[in-house]
This record gives sequence, structure tokens and C-alpha cells, in this order.
Amino acid sequence: MFRLSHNDPRPCGSGKKYMEIKLVTDSITKAELEELARARFGDMVKAVVDINKGIMAVGGELHADEEALLLEQGSKQENLWGINFYPDNSSGEWIEFNSMINIRPSQGNRSRGVEDESVRKSIREAVEKLVKE
Amino acid sequence: MPFQHQELAAGRWQELSLAEQMGNIGSEISRALRWRDNDQKLFIGAFDRALELLDLTISDSRWRGRLKELTRVREAVGDAFCGGSEYRTSFEDLNRYFFNFAIAARAHR
Repeated sequence: MFRLSHNDPRPCGSGKKYMEIKLVTDSITKAELEELARARFGDMVKAVVDINKGIMAVGGELHADEEALLLEQGSKQENLWGINFYPDNSSGEWIEFNSMINIRPSQGNRSRGVEDESVRKSIREAVEKLVKE
Repeated sequence: MPFQHQELAAGRWQELSLAEQMGNIGSEISRALRWRDNDQKLFIGAFDRALELLDLTISDSRWRGRLKELTRVREAVGDAFCGGSEYRTSFEDLNRYFFNFAIAARAHR
């Protein structure tokens, strides 16, 4: 996992700094996600997945900030999808496709969800590779 | 209770447009709606976040003079949580209301 700390300035030159968003290029454990959830929203971790590169940004307060980080790292917007992890959810439904950044009329996705089943499948596959038990 | 959205409360929220703010509040409303009937803890978590963000919007000095609708929405959100006994507000209604802002915020994406 590549970690961007509080004090890393954004490469866009805006002078703004990243908060606690983590770029996961290799792997992250479910326990780490649980820790992020506890530190942030209690039950949930926001993530943006690049289905082309197979990487994701996690732990931001806004999907839009995670999306910005990935775009600045060279991701293409059409490959980026917002999801939420509920690492502690015992019902087994721990990935939620619900983010404002998914509303993308240009790609025919007009809801916060991910309407194309094959895209949802690609997101799940990327997550499976990145998240270790 | 400390803010769940600490960075947003510290100023990041004030960098967003009104449509972006309302769209993000709507994301939590839609999550509350999703979990309402099958997970009370997640429902409350999403509802609390929606209210926290709505309060950040109401306290955003840029919207002084436009507060009438925002404070009314807050009342409606509270009403939905209490079962709609006052104004018959439902989470489905709120979800539709906020979703239009999300669409507006992402119109050119």
C-alpha cells in the first residue's frame, strides 16, 4: 500500500494537501479497512476503484477527493467508480455501489449506482485482488 | 460528539458548490434509505452523516440569504426520521429531492 500522508502536497500545484487518502496499488487487509472505518465514519470506508489499473484510493471523506487523487496519478475518469466498504457488516453485503461520482451521463450512468453489470463485475474483481483477509 | 467529517468541517466543505453539497448530503440520504429496513446501525450512521453535512451547508456563510429552503429541508429530514408524522416526509421523497442536485453537480461528467 502506498500511503499519502497529511503533509504531501497535491501534484497539481494547488498547494492543497491530501488528507488521509490512501492509494492501494498492491494490497490492503480487511483489518486495515476496518481500522479506517473506525477512524472515519465508524462503519464505512469510501473507495474509488480504477478498473483499468486495478488500483484504488480509500479513506477519503469525499469520493470526489479520492477520484481527484487517482486522476492526478494518471487514471482516466471513465475507469473510476465510487464504492463503499462496510468491513464489519455481518450480512455479507460489504460492498455498496453508491457514490455521486458514478453519476456520469456521458457514459450512460445516470444514478449513484453502477448500472452496467459488467462494470460491477470488474470492480468486484479489482477489489478481490486488492483486499486480503 | 466530534465531527465525522473532520476535514470537511475544517473548510473543505466550503469549497464545494451548493449542488455538490446537496448531492453529497443526498448520497447519505440514499444510504439511509437503503439500510433503513435491514440494518438499524448503518441506517443511523448514514442519517447522522446526512444531518452533519446539512448542518455544515446551513452554516456555510455563502448561503446566507438562501437559508429558507435549507432550514426547511432540515426540518423535513428530521420529520422523515421521526416517521413523517409532521409533514408526511419520506426518505424516498428526500432521496428524489437531493438526487436532482447530484445530477446538476455532475451534469458535464
